[in-house]
Amino acid sequence: MLTPIEIQGLQVLTILVCSPLLSGVIAHIEARLQGRRGPRILQPYYDLAKFLRKETLIPKDASWVFVAGPIVAFSCYLIVPFLIPVLTNYPLPLGYMGDILGGGFILALAGFSVSLAAAESGGPYAQLGSSRAMTFGALIEPSILFVIFTVALVTSTDLPYFEAATARASLSQAIRPAHLLAALAFFLVVLNDTGRIPVETHSSTLEFGMIDEARTLEHSGPLLALLRWGSAMNQMLLYVILLNVFVAPWGLAGTRQAGAVLLAIPVFVGKAVGLGVLFALVDNSFSKLRLFKITEFMAAAFVIAILAVLVLYLGGG
Amino acid sequence: MVAAMSAPSTFTGGSEAIALAVLLTEFAMLRAPLSRSQVRLYALQSLAVSGLALFVAITKHLDALYALAALSFVLKVVVVPRIVLRLLRESRVELVASHRLGVATMVLISVVAAAFGFFVVGSLPVHARLLPTPSFGLAGAEILVAFLLVILRSDVVSQAVGFFSLENGVSVASLVIAGGLPLILEMIFLFDLLVAVVVFGVLIWVHHGRTQTLSTDPLEQLRG
Repeated sequence: MLTPIEIQGLQVLTILVCSPLLSGVIAHIEARLQGRRGPRILQPYYDLAKFLRKETLIPKDASWVFVAGPIVAFSCYLIVPFLIPVLTNYPLPLGYMGDILGGGFILALAGFSVSLAAAESGGPYAQLGSSRAMTFGALIEPSILFVIFTVALVTSTDLPYFEAATARASLSQAIRPAHLLAALAFFLVVLNDTGRIPVETHSSTLEFGMIDEARTLEHSGPLLALLRWGSAMNQMLLYVILLNVFVAPWGLAGTRQAGAVLLAIPVFVGKAVGLGVLFALVDNSFSKLRLFKITEFMAAAFVIAILAVLVLYLGGG
Repeated sequence: MVAAMSAPSTFTGGSEAIALAVLLTEFAMLRAPLSRSQVRLYALQSLAVSGLALFVAITKHLDALYALAALSFVLKVVVVPRIVLRLLRESRVELVASHRLGVATMVLISVVAAAFGFFVVGSLPVHARLLPTPSFGLAGAEILVAFLLVILRSDVVSQAVGFFSLENGVSVASLVIAGGLPLILEMIFLFDLLVAVVVFGVLIWVHHGRTQTLSTDPLEQLRG
């Protein structure tokens, strides 16, 4: 029997430890789909270890914000696992600390501090990245809000645990149009927030199309490690919300037995890898949108999210 | 746990999901840059409409609807898109810049129109015999977005496809309010579509023959 506090710590540890693994697996599968051999699955860990050993260079005119940004972002990513169902299907004590909106605020704070640190560096590409990230972040925000409205209308609360419990409760809840539309809209949001095609080529080194990736160009050493690790954690957190709240809230531990909770870790990583394969397939089957066409993608996500609310209002769909 | 809003039955949920797919393809048509992809989206939308008819036929055991589903599949998924695609191939025009407004603006306007149609049509005291009433609202929204497609895109193919998809919206609406309509009346609707295809086919052909483009902008010069 694990205490709730231990389980909560385990949720954070799962995200912290497994997120580079998830990135590694996705990068490997993506390379295979493109006919390349690809990096080792553990490559992100080696990269992080390398960056942590290197020295940190700070631009001449940069202030403390340049150093604080990555640290604040990293701590934000460590807080969010307290709020969302990573391993258990029952709410943990600290899960009531914040709802989906609260989790969204903390993720937004993380993104904001990374952008601030990038802007502080004075590097033109980093500044361009931070300005773009803020612009597109604001454009995708309405879709996120309407997804949250949908959840709130369905469950009359916006705690992620309850949305997951509702989807699990019966098949008709899981396939009701509003739920499907909200899940689809959130899928598009995750595509945007993890820097995937059609919004961004996440592995490219070409600055013209860069959004999120450009923000880390001026950081080095341990700070870069924190940023990379943070972005892997961000990706895994978004996967947790998409999988364990919307699409597949099954396979979570229902009791506090150590065995059940520990078993939930590989089950979740397996689900996340499955989702990662889907994202890699999307990456390989679509082309990147031109920067000024990205608003079309945002508009599509917005339409889907708003339709979810509309069908709920009119017919209980 | 907090009481959740009760979910619709599987039949209601399923039929609404299909009606939503019809509406979403209409939005996709609004955005699609290539005329060819617009026609393909129309075929996809018609597939959803015939799927809806089939879904109702299976769950409510209505033989007439099987025939309707089959007929509309043959006509709207296979024949009409083929004819239009063939016309397009002959005109050898790949891309017509026909967006009168930016895509995001168009989508926002359509969202407003769809919401309006959704609520106005949905609040009519219509007694739905077969399908859940929200599908009627969705059909209303779809018809309004189809109108916007005709208004906001200035090429002949969009006008034609917009008109055809208007008919798809009407089909969904007629499935909702009069699902058990005599087959002969439904067939008349479909033949109406065939007439429209002929008219628009001639229009595309003559227009392209005279102006060498599929854009309707040259027609503006005809105004006095």
